[in-house]
Amino acid sequence: MSAMVKPLPVQEAYEDLLQRSLSRIPCDLGRLLYLASTRDYNTGNYHHDGLADRFSVKVARSALEIAHRQAFYKVAALSLEELVRDLAAYLESSRENPEEFLRTWQRLEPYRIAIPMEVNPTVARLFASNVRLALAVLRLRQSTHADR
Amino acid sequence: MIGVWGALAGALVLLLVLLAWLRAEASSKDSRSDWGEADQEQSESVEACSPEIVSQLFSAADSKFISGLESPGLENLFRRERTAVALHWVQETSAFINKIMRRHLEASRLSADLEIAEEARTFLQYARLKLYCGILFVLIGLLGPQRLAGTALYAERFIQRVGEGLVEFQLAARLPEPDGSESL
Repeated sequence: MSAMVKPLPVQEAYEDLLQRSLSRIPCDLGRLLYLASTRDYNTGNYHHDGLADRFSVKVARSALEIAHRQAFYKVAALSLEELVRDLAAYLESSRENPEEFLRTWQRLEPYRIAIPMEVNPTVARLFASNVRLALAVLRLRQSTHADR
Repeated sequence: MIGVWGALAGALVLLLVLLAWLRAEASSKDSRSDWGEADQEQSESVEACSPEIVSQLFSAADSKFISGLESPGLENLFRRERTAVALHWVQETSAFINKIMRRHLEASRLSADLEIAEEARTFLQYARLKLYCGILFVLIGLLGPQRLAGTALYAERFIQRVGEGLVEFQLAARLPEPDGSESL
């Protein structure tokens, strides 16, 4: 008798999410922001129509929550140089005006909403601090480029 | 004569430590007001920081990357940002140690076979960890986090080891007595 291990529904939903949605996003920061955008600001619950249809609302919610936490810890552990590269890739994929993008991100700090609930506060701070630094590096590069 | 010079040197060292402490306090206050009380509430419930994140926080590679960009403004920003996060880590670690010790004391009260020597050893470890945190706090304020990576990682591993030991003790204290055995 062969022992077939059936994957748990949450794991299956998680893999589905990775294959169908996240693999299309070119950078880690983009994946993180996408996952954060599936969270309701008022309740903190995650929702994804396609995933909820294929599995269930509850399973989709858990898979999104796990994926969000993993994406967050991955970005928080990036070196500053890697984060600058990743942020530049995100900026490029957004097709926005780079100058405007950087200015808006420095003022509004929209990346703060990408922090999942109940993560270690030091990691949350390190993440926000690193994004601030990465933005400053990109702005510096931009001004140096403009001076030439 | 040596006594006067010794006292002067001592006073100078004390003054430097005091200044570093005040500087570190000011940096950590800045970052605290930025994040509010939600952060403090959270630190009560979440786990300790992982060693990977600690080494990232104290990483010399990031400092080297920033230096390579040759911008004094950016270097200042980097120093300020990293110092604030590192000081927050020390405070969080210190609070985590307190929490572990509090839980240990609660478990000790429930324990039937308390060993005085073991308790004294635990208390000494607690005092040592608190001392590490105090020294790290001052040194980060004085030197910045990048030169203290080794010390920070040592403290982190030590805390995890002590924490695991204390959790085992708590579990043992809460375990039900085996059938037929008598508790004191």
